[in-house]
Amino acid sequence: MAEEVRDGLKYTEAHEWLKIQNNIAIIGITDHAQAELTDIVFVELPEIGKEIKKGEELCVVESVKSVSEIYSPISGNVVDVNKKLDDSPEVINESPYDDGWLVKLEIEDKSEIDSLLDVKSYKKILK
Amino acid sequence: MVLRSPLLNIQKGLGAKFTKFADFEMPIQYSSIKDEHLAVRRSVGLFDVSHMSNVWITGKDAEKLISLTTVEDASRIGDGLSQYTAILREDGTVIDDTIFMHLGEKYMIIPNAGMATTVTKWLNEKAKEYNLNAKAEDVSRDFVILAIQGPKSRDTLQKLTDTDLNTVKFFGCQYIDISGVHCIISHTGYTGELGFELQITPPKEAEDPFYKILDAGKEFNIKPIGLGARDTLRLEKCFILAGNEFEGGRTPLEAIMSWTINWDHAFIGKDALLKQKEQGDYERLTSLECVDKGIPRHGCEIRKDGEKVGVVSSGTLSPCLNRGIAMGYVRPEFRDAGNILEIVVRNKPMKARVVKPPFVKKDWAQQH
Repeated sequence: MAEEVRDGLKYTEAHEWLKIQNNIAIIGITDHAQAELTDIVFVELPEIGKEIKKGEELCVVESVKSVSEIYSPISGNVVDVNKKLDDSPEVINESPYDDGWLVKLEIEDKSEIDSLLDVKSYKKILK
Repeated sequence: MVLRSPLLNIQKGLGAKFTKFADFEMPIQYSSIKDEHLAVRRSVGLFDVSHMSNVWITGKDAEKLISLTTVEDASRIGDGLSQYTAILREDGTVIDDTIFMHLGEKYMIIPNAGMATTVTKWLNEKAKEYNLNAKAEDVSRDFVILAIQGPKSRDTLQKLTDTDLNTVKFFGCQYIDISGVHCIISHTGYTGELGFELQITPPKEAEDPFYKILDAGKEFNIKPIGLGARDTLRLEKCFILAGNEFEGGRTPLEAIMSWTINWDHAFIGKDALLKQKEQGDYERLTSLECVDKGIPRHGCEIRKDGEKVGVVSSGTLSPCLNRGIAMGYVRPEFRDAGNILEIVVRNKPMKARVVKPPFVKKDWAQQH
């Protein structure tokens, strides 16, 4: 099964994606990441309003056997979280780029976006 | 050194992801831990458990050596029967839990992954010390162990043998031909379901039965199962995982294994256990089902009203119950069924209820 890398998104080496809409970044994990983790069974999301610095823990994603910390690829203020994941964490496996998004951050420093990977560079990492 | 099952290439071909367990590189999962877990509860799954060890005990005092070094009186376990037991140090703590099989003049014990050298050395030392004519020999590398587990395991395996598997009783063991391969079968397992385990030697001989079993189980949607589901299956039934539940030195009384102890015979560690039993005030393995959302893990602290009263030895999400479950050592006064305790996960206390084992009852598959 080929893992999807979606056009129009930014990526990180840690297999996160970011969708930039004006000053908001929607953040999730990539198709590759969900396939590696398999069966996601629990997600711990940050509180809305929390200030997060680049590199700090953004949320925790657990599979049956593993606990994975997701570190924030950029700095910002948490403006929304995907509450659906509380009851249906498996949505991340089913729809990593759409219904399985994790957090919306209000971007603090736009220059941090420039250092993220584009589609082409992320595809290279997967090879 | 990383050891590999002789079936590694076959497993790679089936899409397995691998993990290191003890010194072994073993499949952790093929499709998904949840799917594999449910396949075993509802139908049938095939495990390669070659990471487990094989030790032959031979000599005219073999039975005496087993009685001396385990909590079981081996004279009670007739030819063609196997027994789950524990090997103790003099201080009563468990070196390893194991099954021994009585096969004619010989016994085979199945120590845990990575325990073969320790157990073999211990048994040979004790044979010498107590002047017994018995010898332990580590033959782990000569055997592949396959486990066929689940309500359809017997129907699957029956297609590959002329022996009526209904005659292999619970905890029975004997030699058998499976698709033309001579091996040892036992009606045992680590899943709490109907199941069998096969000891196959030499290892190369296991390749054909592995394929044949998958083929015979096709009509039941058999799945190859990795160590991930093996762990969740055993934990739902509150079976002990040596590396977790005996960590730091635990006695069979603490591990709630009293039922395995035959007090009417002399064995190494008995005096220490009698002393502990009399004294009574010791942590005991306790089953906790989470009330709050979250997954307890090995090492998490267990609290009552903010005070530490124990520690989690094993924790996971139960695929059958879809909630966190844990076993942990808890002070005796806090472990009555129904008590609400807290398990601390990432610095957050999470409510969990003490329950009677097992977490998943025998009729779960019929009801779900």
